[in-house]
Amino acid sequence: MAPAISCVFLVALFSTSCEAIASSDQMCIEKETNKTYNCENLGLGEIPGTLPNSTECLEFSFNFLPTIQNTTFSRLVNLTFLDLTRCQIYWIHEDTFQSQHQLDTLVLTANPLIFMAETSLNGPKSLKHLFFIQTGMSSLDFIPMHNLKNLESLHLGSNHISSIKLPKDFPTEKLKVLDFQNNAIHYLSKEDVGSLQQATNLSLNLKGNDITRIELGAFKSTIFQSLDFGGTLDLLVIFKGLQNSTVQSLWLGTFEDINDEDINFSVFDGLCEMSVESMYLQKHHFFNISSNTFHCFTSLQELDLTATHLKELPSGIVGLKSLKKLVLSANKFSNLCQINAANFPSLTHLYIKGNTKRLDLGTGCLENLENLHLLDLSHDDIETSDCCNLQLKNLSHLQSLNLSYNEPLGLKTEAFQECPQLELLDLAFTRLRVNTAQSPFQNLHLLKVLNLSHCLLDTSNQHILDGLPVLQHLNLQGNNFPNGNIQKTNPLQTLESLEILILSFCDLSSIDQQAFISLKIMNHVDLSHNRLTSSSIEALSHLKGIYLNLAANHIGIIPSGLLPILSQQRTINLRGNPLDCTCSNIYFLEWYKENMQKLEDTENTFCANPPLLRGVKLSDVTLSCSITAVGIFFLIVFLLLFTVVLIFAVKYFLRWKYQHI
Amino acid sequence: MNSVAAALLVWILTSPSSDRGDAWPTHMACSSGGLEVLYQSCDPLQDFGLSIDQCSKQIPQQLNIRFGIILREDIRELFLDIALISRGSSILNFSYPICEEDLPKFSFCGRRKGEQIYYAGPVNNLGFDVPQGEYQVLLELYNENRATVACANATVISF
Repeated sequence: MAPAISCVFLVALFSTSCEAIASSDQMCIEKETNKTYNCENLGLGEIPGTLPNSTECLEFSFNFLPTIQNTTFSRLVNLTFLDLTRCQIYWIHEDTFQSQHQLDTLVLTANPLIFMAETSLNGPKSLKHLFFIQTGMSSLDFIPMHNLKNLESLHLGSNHISSIKLPKDFPTEKLKVLDFQNNAIHYLSKEDVGSLQQATNLSLNLKGNDITRIELGAFKSTIFQSLDFGGTLDLLVIFKGLQNSTVQSLWLGTFEDINDEDINFSVFDGLCEMSVESMYLQKHHFFNISSNTFHCFTSLQELDLTATHLKELPSGIVGLKSLKKLVLSANKFSNLCQINAANFPSLTHLYIKGNTKRLDLGTGCLENLENLHLLDLSHDDIETSDCCNLQLKNLSHLQSLNLSYNEPLGLKTEAFQECPQLELLDLAFTRLRVNTAQSPFQNLHLLKVLNLSHCLLDTSNQHILDGLPVLQHLNLQGNNFPNGNIQKTNPLQTLESLEILILSFCDLSSIDQQAFISLKIMNHVDLSHNRLTSSSIEALSHLKGIYLNLAANHIGIIPSGLLPILSQQRTINLRGNPLDCTCSNIYFLEWYKENMQKLEDTENTFCANPPLLRGVKLSDVTLSCSITAVGIFFLIVFLLLFTVVLIFAVKYFLRWKYQHI
Repeated sequence: MNSVAAALLVWILTSPSSDRGDAWPTHMACSSGGLEVLYQSCDPLQDFGLSIDQCSKQIPQQLNIRFGIILREDIRELFLDIALISRGSSILNFSYPICEEDLPKFSFCGRRKGEQIYYAGPVNNLGFDVPQGEYQVLLELYNENRATVACANATVISF
């Protein structure tokens, strides 16, 4: 009898009451309380009554508003951004945006507009960005222009417009972006370009318009921030038409789906008559370049020859002596020396990424580029057993080097001796072969950022990260440590300036309490996607105010002794852990509720145990682990019964004793 | 009451298909030369149209396709993931950039959410022979935010 009762008592004592608060389902997604709402794809025929009047940003695309008028949005007086993409709008009637004084951006993309009333855009005090992409417009007169004085960008792509001429009195003082992509503009006259004269530093996009004729002198003494003639078939027309103009950035690339003939290099003679800072010539066919091809490029700062089928550049090229930035990505070089780097002695930035052939770095191919600051050699299938001193010879000013996504590289001690000024080194996804006790990064006294993710490093080499006195940011994602354990002595201990450490996907199961002891100023530690339990938290006890990512680990119960370590941090992520929501974890669960402002991703942080609470948000769980009313009842019953049994026992014992005197 | 009924009707007619529960129909992208390509949109929001020219077991280099879709996202950056499965086991996983900020390969790169797109042109593929058998291909187009632009479950049958 008594054992059974005590069982019931124990059950009652530990019984927990659970409570989950279900949030009511709203149709629109609230992205920022009372401010930003997303109502996309809901097939709504009107603005839902549930949206607060204070809404500022409204994403309302893919709904159904055949007619919009002054009553449609009248309630939402604080709107600054309104996206009405593909809402099947035919009519925009008088005073539709009358009460939206703050409206800044209006997106009307892909609506089959039939008519916009004269006052349909009145109301906003400072309408800055207008999107009329694919609205079936054939003339700019369609846009009511009374209230466009503050307009900064006008997007008119994919319409049936055949002239860029703005209507008389169209306000252009503040216009910075005028986008005519994919229209039917074939001719640019003096008058057309003249209508943009008031705008300063304008970016004009004419991509996907086959320009066949430009009136001579149309661009004379004009100044543009950027001009985009992407996909144009006849470059000669463009260069002739742009005579005596000044263009900061000129985009003349073409595309895979556009038939393009070999470029006739004489077209570039037109460049002698104009001033261009950056030029983009992607995907043209640049065969048989001669040393004289670029003789008119002398004023150019930046040249982009991405995917131009280049196999080599000749030596002695005239005209590129002062070039600062050169992009030769996605070409067909087989050896780095084939770019003849001596052609570009002033170069500070060089990009050769995604070469379609295996790139051999050769020896000293870039040694003339004394001013080079940035070198990108990623995605090039580079493979070498001894990198990188011979290959990067004389690049003493290099600050940023990208060798990510290559084939295995062998690194010896002081592998980057030739570039002592390096501040950023990216070796992600390139397998590194480093012999025992070698220190490849030795003497990189200025290196701040080192990305070694997925390099398959030998982390048992205690000296692998030696010689990096100012390293702030280290990414070791996807590298393994011996036995999945970071021991007290480990290669990280020398990095005393480290602020950001990424150790996600490292298959870690434990971290020694002293493992990070010399890393005193860390403020961002990512340990996500490992197999760590709560005991590893002790390794962070000396750190305060950090961002700590522990997502997707094996943390179940966090004992109360570890909670002060969490409390002293700035932000913690515990998503994707098998968190325990029973009374054995009550201290942590209480801590969690009190520290919600410290926790990241709480919407996706769920209980895994007990089965009843699996998948419930931790923030929704309320445990009551003290004695409940039922518990008190059973306790009293138990004590009463116990007393009765005790009395009987004493009585029986005394009687038995008397009988035997 | 009438307006409520009308709104309800409009909502039913224009609401995305996920509510209707049934999948998009299976279309034939091509069928000739011993090769048959069937596909079904796996984007719950919409269907799309695809047809492949020069369908044959010896797939030539530079296939020409025709493709029509409404963009649900901007495509300044656009990536393609291909997963090839045969008899339940994965043969090939592949990811390929179509539009990038520094290399827009195609003329449609940079077009905006909501735009209707029709593309007829080459796809810059490798030429290869398709061995006899049935293959499952999962194709996914997505942008820099990993938002789906198009998704297709295709079946390739080579006789």
